[in-house]
Amino acid sequence: MPPWRLGLKIAFTLLALLIVLPVLPALAEPSTTQEVEEGLTCQCSCGLTVHSCNHLQCSFAVPRKQEIATAISAGKGKEEILASYMAQYGEKVLSSPTTTGFNLAAWITPFLALILGGVVVSLMSLRWSRQRAVKESQPPVVTEVAGEYRERLKKELSQFRE
Amino acid sequence: MTHLGELALALAAILAVYAICTSLLGALWRRERWIASGTQAAYAVFGCVTVAVVALLHALLTRDFNLEYVQAYSSSTLPLQYTVAALWGGQKGSLLFWTFIQTMFSAIVHWQNREKNRELMPYVTTTLMVVSLFFLGMLCFITPPFERLAFTPQEGSDLNPLLQNYWMTIHPPTLYLGYISASIPFAFAIAALATGKLGEVWICTTRRWALASWFFLSCGNLLGGRWAYEVLGWGGYWAWDPVENAAIMPWFTATAYLHSVMIQEKKNMLKVWNMVLVILTFALTIFGTFLTRSGVISSVHSFTQSGLGPYFMAFLVFLLIVSFGLLFYRLPDLKSDNELDSLMSREAAFLLNNWVLVGLAFATFWGTVFPIISEWVRGVKITVGPPFFNKVNGPLGILLLLLTGIGPVIAWRRASVKSLGRNFSISLIAGFSAGVLFFLFGYRNYYAVVIFSLAGFVLGTIFSEFYRGTRARQSMLHESSPQALGRLVSKNPRRYGGYIVHVAVVMMFVGIAGSSFFKIEKQISINTGESFEVGRYTLRYNGIKSSDSPHVSIQAAEVQVFVQGQQIDTMYPEKRHYKKQDQPTTEVAIRPTLLEDLYVVLGGYDAPSGLVTFQVFVNPLLSWLWIGGLVLILGTCVTMMPTPAERQERVLAQAPVARGNEVAE
Repeated sequence: MPPWRLGLKIAFTLLALLIVLPVLPALAEPSTTQEVEEGLTCQCSCGLTVHSCNHLQCSFAVPRKQEIATAISAGKGKEEILASYMAQYGEKVLSSPTTTGFNLAAWITPFLALILGGVVVSLMSLRWSRQRAVKESQPPVVTEVAGEYRERLKKELSQFRE
Repeated sequence: MTHLGELALALAAILAVYAICTSLLGALWRRERWIASGTQAAYAVFGCVTVAVVALLHALLTRDFNLEYVQAYSSSTLPLQYTVAALWGGQKGSLLFWTFIQTMFSAIVHWQNREKNRELMPYVTTTLMVVSLFFLGMLCFITPPFERLAFTPQEGSDLNPLLQNYWMTIHPPTLYLGYISASIPFAFAIAALATGKLGEVWICTTRRWALASWFFLSCGNLLGGRWAYEVLGWGGYWAWDPVENAAIMPWFTATAYLHSVMIQEKKNMLKVWNMVLVILTFALTIFGTFLTRSGVISSVHSFTQSGLGPYFMAFLVFLLIVSFGLLFYRLPDLKSDNELDSLMSREAAFLLNNWVLVGLAFATFWGTVFPIISEWVRGVKITVGPPFFNKVNGPLGILLLLLTGIGPVIAWRRASVKSLGRNFSISLIAGFSAGVLFFLFGYRNYYAVVIFSLAGFVLGTIFSEFYRGTRARQSMLHESSPQALGRLVSKNPRRYGGYIVHVAVVMMFVGIAGSSFFKIEKQISINTGESFEVGRYTLRYNGIKSSDSPHVSIQAAEVQVFVQGQQIDTMYPEKRHYKKQDQPTTEVAIRPTLLEDLYVVLGGYDAPSGLVTFQVFVNPLLSWLWIGGLVLILGTCVTMMPTPAERQERVLAQAPVARGNEVAE
């Protein structure tokens, strides 16, 4: 394997690790009120999460913020709190789809499409670079016409010298 | 005047039909006079739509409340600038305004090409007139802007207070300019497919239009973000709302096109792919309009629910069938010599860039439409909000930033490991230093440090490109540094303008990372004379000042700002009450600096107790997002400058005329 290919592979692995690694320790950390509030969509039609809704008298966001703070201090986790709201208001209250059943398609499809696109781009790039390599390895084709022009050029050059 | 407007719209629709027929039949049967007549009709359509726009503006300015549109979106006390902005503040007016820009661009394109592209132009006319006809059909039959009421109300309902903001006067027109200018490359692509003239001509002719579309889409999105930041009062600027998504999707595909078209120009590759990107970009603008006007997805931006959705969907399907049908028909002619000299080349980097950008467009599209799909499949309503888009698009954005730093340094055709090592050494040092610097300054979020490091890496790349180019000119041509830099840019404006745009993108990433990961928030209720602390600031509330006008009543809180005991500013966040709509709004007070924005919202005021509630945000580095926008404008302007070859062509084009004049004399 050429060294640049190995370098490229290492670079991509490092990049993937750079992006994925920080997620792992975050899984073990206790939930914060902000995380839970951002997991809920405000139902006052502001289109924002409970955390971002800035309607001071909002009949949905204000009580939910207090409830979430109480639940967090009682030691409840994010998933548990969100599940209780989902049972109460339905799935639409969550600010992003769950990761079960059909909703899994929401999360997986973009990455599947990206991987598929990546495979297509890689295969085409490889094919195109091989085409080029094959062309470069072949000797230049001398056609009849080219030969004819070469003869004519030789003749005219000799006449010019004379 | 309004009858004239109605008549003008009907005439415009008839003329558009005439232009389509004469241009298409003229091209098929090779009748030059028919084609010329079609072109004249396209100009006339613009003239008629202009009359209709003037008629509606006249009705708005003269407060003709008998007109349903004027009554619904203005009032006698609405300030002049918002009365004019009411033209695009409602469903019908915005469609008319859209049609106005569409026909204006069509007229400009016909003027620009009056002596060239003779084979393409009839099909360009046909395509542009079909698009115009669709909008004119809407205006004439489905949603007429000159509809009259059975009685004349004394007063109008007023423009939505959220729209009464100066950013709102320019944000929609800018976005429309971006959407609509995408129709020009699309029309030329269709013309190229229809005629089989698939060479470089259509690409060269539409290069500036494609850039203009991208530029206005960029500005439109940024201005929309600024409007949200100032008006909505939640401390943010982007919420991945469906309508925001609709505006960013064509931006992704347009950006991909601007990069991939360079490969076609340099290496005659990716002809089919570039066609696909041009078609997708225009289709996504129509899709965005469908989302805004159909009411299929709830959004704070959308117009009131209307029956326009099915028409837009039908038009979108028609466009896609015709476009991809033509593309499929011409596939054998679009075969190109697809060859990559090396996987370590700029072409390969651009392919990766296209992969990520189209991936971003797809992920955004998927997240936007997934609630509809979920409802169809399961009958359950769900929400796909910011956490989804941040998780899916965030890593892709980081990857894109990395590619922004790699692409410009890799040579076309083939890059050697040695040259890469040489080119990247400065960038890697800059990236590492930036990461360490931000870490030492206390920005200790993992993703933020990665973004700051990549920002340093990209800036290092661009700086070294400018430095090397300037040094080379200095040593070869003995120019001074400013002279060498100026000539370096003017000799290759596309390349160096592009680099300036990349600097703008880096600034925006820094602004987004800073304000997303290190935002400080506080909500507090206090009385006059009391103080509180947010971040490094101490804020002291000194009382409420009230003012009143027939249009709006304002309550402004006076807030003194201190840092380490020194007063640095006084801010006046406001609560407004718009009387006609009986709707309260917040006017935030912002103190921007390069380091951070102090953002104060007056949430509520209880007069009996004198208690006020403030929401205060400290948004680090956010100013860089808006500064990045200004740099983006500069970079795009540089990119649009004529290249030396183009300047030479213009001189040569003028030369025969000059010689002809001499002969005539």
